Amino acid sequence: MEITGSLSVLGAGFAFGVGAIGPAIGIGMIGAKTIESMARQPEMAGRLQTVMFIALALAEAIALFGFVLAFVLMGQ
Amino acid sequence: MEKIGEGVEHLLHELSVLTLSGHEVHAGEFVLTNYMFFLLIALVVTFLFFMIGVRKVSLVPESRLGGAIETGVEFVRDSLCIETMGPEGRKYVPFVGTIFFFVLFNNLIGLIPGSKPGTGTMGTTVTWAVVVFIVYNAIGIKRHGVWGYAKSFWPKGVPGPIAAVVALLEVVSHLVRPLTLSVRLYANMYAGHVVLGIFSILGALLLEASGVMKVIAVLPVMLQIVLYALEVFVAVIQAYIFAILTSVYIGGAIHTH
Repeated sequence: MEITGSLSVLGAGFAFGVGAIGPAIGIGMIGAKTIESMARQPEMAGRLQTVMFIALALAEAIALFGFVLAFVLMGQ
Repeated sequence: MEKIGEGVEHLLHELSVLTLSGHEVHAGEFVLTNYMFFLLIALVVTFLFFMIGVRKVSLVPESRLGGAIETGVEFVRDSLCIETMGPEGRKYVPFVGTIFFFVLFNNLIGLIPGSKPGTGTMGTTVTWAVVVFIVYNAIGIKRHGVWGYAKSFWPKGVPGPIAAVVALLEVVSHLVRPLTLSVRLYANMYAGHVVLGIFSILGALLLEASGVMKVIAVLPVMLQIVLYALEVFVAVIQAYIFAILTSVYIGGAIHTH
């Protein structure tokens, strides 16, 4: 199999792929802890859900930097 | 293998910004693009949805549409505005509600086969994110004055040099808010459509193939159905996240510490 294309595409793949590892772990932990807290105090479920989504959005933002960087590298 | 590559290339071309007749858009040209077209459709649908729904207003909604609108608006008021801003959140229900329902209708219309989400391009989402950025900063300045709002970036009870670093970080985190807000929505809608498209290509290619391959085609088709349901969920969740972050930002501008 012949390898074609520029190295910047490889860089773009890595920028998103490697950059998504941390946020993925973070989102998993946020979800796990929220479920744990909801099981302990079901009456707090509504409030917890709101806070969870805000925390999710913050963790996701870091993955998005990799996404933007990937697009920038693709254009090189 | 080559066929998959061709299909993906065609898919990405279809998802890029084109004119309605399928030509590429050149820089500086003013035309109605495919995304703008579906954005306008979402605008009309949102407008009609509310205009028809509130034609006859009564204390207990009589029509189903009226009930749906009441549930939706109550959700925006209680779970989005009052939850994050306190009792004064009522004042901002129209703004947050407009954003929530417009994003929601855009996302959902994009899921109808053959159409595109108005939010699936950077142009739309960046505009909204910048509007949100200006609005929440304006609310903060209006409430605390320019100096009072600027002072809220400086942490209290922290020694000088550390406070400067924290203030700098705070300013940077405010400046990237429009970027993350817009890219989150755009990336979710765009990536979701690429995934759905790739599974359709896979299913179509396997169905065209002969013999045992036709049987294997069941797998991507079944996965497609599951993914479609996931995309409906993502469409609603992303509208919710966009709206709740908007109200969190406004809440932060009101209650500075």
